[in-house]
Amino acid sequence: MTKSKGIPMFSPNRRTFLQGMGAAGLAGAGLMPRSAQAATSMKFMCWEGYDSPDIIKPFEEANDVSISIDLITDSPGGFAKLAAGAWRDFDVVATDSPWVQRMGPAGIGEFLDDAEFADVYDSFYPQFRAPFEPLNFEGKTTGLPTRWGWVGPTVNTKYDKLESWRSYAPCFDPAYKDKICVLDWGDWPIMPMALYAGIDPYKELDDAELNEIRLVLRALFKNTRAIVGDLSVAQKGLMDGSFRTLIGGGTYCTSALRKDGQKEIMSIVPEPKDGLKQGIIWMEAGGIVKDPVDDAKAKALLRDLTSPEVAVKLAWTEATCNLVPSQKAEALFTDEQKDVLQMDYMWEAWDKSHFHNVAPNIDQMLEIWSQELAAAR
Amino acid sequence: MRLSTLPLLLLMGLFFVIPLIMTALLSFQGTQYYRLVWTWDLKVWTDVFSQVHYWTIMWRTLVMALICTLLCTVLAIPIAYGMLHRLSRWSDHITLLMVFAFLTDAVLKTFGWVLFLDRSGVLNGTLEAIGFPAASVNVLFTPNATMIGMVYNLLPYTIFTVALSMARIDGDLVLAARDAGASRLRAFVEVTLPLAKPGIWAGAVLVFVLSLGVFLEPKVMGGGTSPLAAELIRQSFETRVNWPLGAALTLVLIVIGAAALTVFGAVALWQARRVAND
Repeated sequence: MTKSKGIPMFSPNRRTFLQGMGAAGLAGAGLMPRSAQAATSMKFMCWEGYDSPDIIKPFEEANDVSISIDLITDSPGGFAKLAAGAWRDFDVVATDSPWVQRMGPAGIGEFLDDAEFADVYDSFYPQFRAPFEPLNFEGKTTGLPTRWGWVGPTVNTKYDKLESWRSYAPCFDPAYKDKICVLDWGDWPIMPMALYAGIDPYKELDDAELNEIRLVLRALFKNTRAIVGDLSVAQKGLMDGSFRTLIGGGTYCTSALRKDGQKEIMSIVPEPKDGLKQGIIWMEAGGIVKDPVDDAKAKALLRDLTSPEVAVKLAWTEATCNLVPSQKAEALFTDEQKDVLQMDYMWEAWDKSHFHNVAPNIDQMLEIWSQELAAAR
Repeated sequence: MRLSTLPLLLLMGLFFVIPLIMTALLSFQGTQYYRLVWTWDLKVWTDVFSQVHYWTIMWRTLVMALICTLLCTVLAIPIAYGMLHRLSRWSDHITLLMVFAFLTDAVLKTFGWVLFLDRSGVLNGTLEAIGFPAASVNVLFTPNATMIGMVYNLLPYTIFTVALSMARIDGDLVLAARDAGASRLRAFVEVTLPLAKPGIWAGAVLVFVLSLGVFLEPKVMGGGTSPLAAELIRQSFETRVNWPLGAALTLVLIVIGAAALTVFGAVALWQARRVAND
């Protein structure tokens, strides 16, 4: 599908409508040049936190632009919305990194020139500097990393020892029956279980490997008390001890509790098992949607989100607290914030983890999840 | 066809028939790399009919909906009767309280139940305080909790419809039955109940249709371990981004609901005819 810069013929939407109006009506009347129209508004699809007025307002004022936000509740859904045609309406997106990377091959994202963002990369930790493979497609950069963390068991040390969770083995221990909470967040709980079964879920899997994943999920469900989609229910159970761990969560689940003073709640990464790393690093990234209204302002927003000052705000939001790739931002965090974010542990977690990506067999794994859940009770 | 029916037909066409046709058309497409592909084949339907777990969940949904309908109806009849005849002085106040409960967001009410039923919640705390062992009620995150949530959220529908139906019954008929020597229970069973049937049926149908689509209760109170059809459909659309599968499962649920309602209707008709013949 190609995108018309002129008056839309078949697929009217906000942006093409404005362009069409500009070309056919307003420009004809000489009232408003199209560029001026284009420069006044942007549409930003993002996760909660990016929409904070602390972040958006200063950018709007500095760049004389109004940003309308479209919050996403799941990354695949956000991607599907863009791919179904909503890309015509959006300028910038901030979502889980695999989906930003996929915008390139899907033809709905702009590639970035690393040289243009050299100063941004210089402010990052070395692990995130260009060429940053997780956001590359055929050697071209699809976005910039914005937030990250790790997926591993989350434990309330008031009720359980951290050492017990150096492995996912307790998930299958009868002593933990009805004390496990699994987060129903798409592939997040499946990946750690596959890793525990000795399978790397990020490569193409055969039937035998998929069957192993089926067996490990079946065993997990036998010990599981609840499979929750809502973070607050999971956090409540973790606080009162009715859940000994959350599977499929990690820093994203615990940081807000630690921010509230519950430092006894921690996220760790299990030790490698038979040479296979057991942790997973998740990352969010910002990308520019194909043909933004104003390319310069879209880039400016990306640059803003990754600047050390904004990175600190992005790390510390009402909903969750997360790590950021900006090394320069580290100096701006207080000791308390560093402690909440478990920054002393972050590189150990990194070293023991895989980088999250879209697994080739994810649809089959989700179907297995659905099948085993239907048969569980 | 009268001209006056045109607005209704237009509304039904625009907001029911056309979306339904679009859903049906969507179910013959495919997905590739999380994108919709216009394939026009039967792959999704083959999947739906060959995967047992879809039917396990559909069956569970149907059973839960029927139990919920039965419980709501059984509970609503004495409550509605009590409101009108035993607590008639407080009837307006009770109605007002129910309307308030009705207007409160279902999410809040459902999460309130979590706090109440939790192992360390209000119920167990109270029981413990009067001497019961700790966490003696362990119902949260079970199908029973799902049912409690469903009945709680849907019960007002049946109470209102049954109460409305009972309120329209001519009180002289009940008095005549009592004068003829019928006990209070017999007058209720032989006069009030048959005359309230239209309201009972309407409430039952309403609750049945709504309970087929419950999402919150199994997810929050049931702990997600016994998913129902709405969750399966959500997962297909949202997590798997498989819109054709979600569309097909939606149609399956609609057909199951329509079939069950047809059976309901046939039973009601048969009963009405039997009464008329008697």
